[in-house]
Amino acid sequence: MGVRGKHRVLTAMMTFAFALVAGLWFKTGTVHAEPTYTIGTNTTFAPFSIQDKNGGYSGKNPGMEIEILREIAKHEHFKYRFKIMSFNGDLQALSNGQVDAVMAGMSVTDERKQKFDFSTPYYNDGVVMAVAKDSNITSMKQLRGKQVDAKSGTSAAIMAQKYQKKYGYKIKYFESSNTMYNDVKIGQAAAVFDDEPVLRYSIKNGVPLKVVSKKAEYTTPVAIGFKKGQNQELQRKMNNGIAWLKKTGRMQKIIDKYTKSNATHVDDASKRTIWGLIKSNSHALLKGLQETIILAVVGIFAALIFGTILGVLGIAQNKFLNGLSTVIIYIFRGLPMMVLAFFIYIGMPSVIGHKIPLFTAGILTLMLDEGAYVGAIVKGGFNSVDKGQWEAARSLGMPYYKALRKVIAPQGFKLMVPSLVNQFIITLKDTSILSAIGVMELTETGTVIIARNMEGFKMWLIIGVMYIIIVTLLTWLSNYVQKKMSN
Amino acid sequence: MDSRYKVQVKDLHKSFGSNEVLKGINLDVEPSEVVCMIGPSGSGKSTFLRCINKLEEPQSGHVYVDGYDLLDPKVNVDKVRENIGMVFQHFNLFPNMNVIENVMLAPVEVKGESKEEAEATALKLLDQVGLKEKAHANPTQLSGGQQQRVAIARALAMHPDVMLFDEPTSALDPEMVGDVLEVMRNLAQQGMTMIVVTHEMGFAKQVADWLVFFHEGVIREQGEPEDVFAHPQHEDTKNFLNKVLQA
Repeated sequence: MGVRGKHRVLTAMMTFAFALVAGLWFKTGTVHAEPTYTIGTNTTFAPFSIQDKNGGYSGKNPGMEIEILREIAKHEHFKYRFKIMSFNGDLQALSNGQVDAVMAGMSVTDERKQKFDFSTPYYNDGVVMAVAKDSNITSMKQLRGKQVDAKSGTSAAIMAQKYQKKYGYKIKYFESSNTMYNDVKIGQAAAVFDDEPVLRYSIKNGVPLKVVSKKAEYTTPVAIGFKKGQNQELQRKMNNGIAWLKKTGRMQKIIDKYTKSNATHVDDASKRTIWGLIKSNSHALLKGLQETIILAVVGIFAALIFGTILGVLGIAQNKFLNGLSTVIIYIFRGLPMMVLAFFIYIGMPSVIGHKIPLFTAGILTLMLDEGAYVGAIVKGGFNSVDKGQWEAARSLGMPYYKALRKVIAPQGFKLMVPSLVNQFIITLKDTSILSAIGVMELTETGTVIIARNMEGFKMWLIIGVMYIIIVTLLTWLSNYVQKKMSN
Repeated sequence: MDSRYKVQVKDLHKSFGSNEVLKGINLDVEPSEVVCMIGPSGSGKSTFLRCINKLEEPQSGHVYVDGYDLLDPKVNVDKVRENIGMVFQHFNLFPNMNVIENVMLAPVEVKGESKEEAEATALKLLDQVGLKEKAHANPTQLSGGQQQRVAIARALAMHPDVMLFDEPTSALDPEMVGDVLEVMRNLAQQGMTMIVVTHEMGFAKQVADWLVFFHEGVIREQGEPEDVFAHPQHEDTKNFLNKVLQA
């Protein structure tokens, strides 16, 4: 291509870029009239909300609530963006004003009314009892001496406690529906009490249980929550939208789609083999893996910098700096990483007054927690360099930090390599803890997929193997580097 | 202080915890003088040497080097150390660098010499200690005696006025000692001011201008080497010399 040709391509590219910018500007200009609200919602809580493979809610079957919100927003002319968290995280965020509203299968209770305003309810949630498909049990009377499962802290658990005396069964509490249903399936428990829509949706998607209750109990209205006295404009719009949906029958249609019809059936048996699960979720799994690796690499890099600073302070000829380093290392080694992650992501924003992005919160957590360990390693590494090396360097007239940088640190870091590599592997595994605040890394990806397809055993097996493969590759790499360095 | 002296120490006291190891030491060293310090182990001679470049911090007294009072907090110790070379019992070469890098490090990093300049000086010094051909070897590949000669070259690369030697041959196999002493002897002949802690009585007798006998944290006796060796005045000196000369 000649110079003239190049010039033409350049012009074309610039024109295109200009058109793109102009287009974007134009687009943002036209939507300016519609306000955008931040809505706190759950990670997958089927059938209320069902995350797609990428952890978002933009698919065809995103769950009852999401579809309801879509219709309301269209009808009432506003835009929304989601903040996807655990339910407790949602409530915290609502109290801190980080979200404008929470739509997350939120039951209206007297206690919550003290703190929040609610829209008109859009659904009535109740508890039903289910048993294994081939079970003969049809009522609670047959449960004497047997085990009943319920999720802790839910209305199902309250109901189970209420009837326990009368029917004489034992209660076992669970954190996730998937493991709980499995407990019933394999016959450990005779029955399970759970939210009706959750149970029905799971059964529709292949969980081998059946509902035996005639009617749901403990029915509570489900509504959208707002911070007390705030966002009344949005509250009004939501109420209008809900009224319109009910009047036109659209609301019932959406609810039926998820609890009755086959339209939202997730996938067929061929997709439930291990290979089928890998294939149908490969995109999400690879994305999760990528996020895990990025977090681990950026995290260990930040931890190395932070840890080196801690190590340098730790060996400084200054009692105050030594103490500072020791205290920082002590605190962050002592704190469970999950608590630290919650503190940074949920606690800090109300102190500093603005939100911390999820990725930043994740990296900060890794930096502080892993950095404390790295700090201890660096301090130990520097200290194990022969004291004579310091003396030789200083006797030549080298100032303290120059001696540290040119003579002590290179020897110290060489001693530290095995420990640092080990710490890197630990960091990679520790990224899974960040799933607690909703970072879509490999573990959280798994949680989301399993909440959708209920294939706990196979999915965790796949994810476990993925971790092992990555750690193995990393170990090989580090062995290679160590061999290189010692030569 | 007296400007006639290169190094002057006045009433130096040093304790480790409650253990006083130096109990008021006075010593004057003239330019180009070679002072050898002998005495039983634990007598304080190494600690005293390490006070002269402030690797140990004395509790009281004065150490003047080139007129600077090292115990004055306003004096930049790093600057004074540039003029004081030190050679250690265990060589303390930097294992993360090769031989010539060891020698070049301080001139480049501290004095800001160019690499070429420092390299030329380093090669000259390595030649002087007979190790020019080992310039690109790793310290760990050298024998103890060779390492110690590199350490001497490394100290000399800063062009010091004073050289401190802390038992430079104690960690060496006997057949290595001669080469190191030879280098030191040449250095003395070139007019270097040297303070040497040593167990090599032969070297002390031949090379030293002044001999100092340390015992239990004090200088028990000092004088011209021939006099001290031939007519020790103090009982402790006699006992010590009897022991080491018999061995």
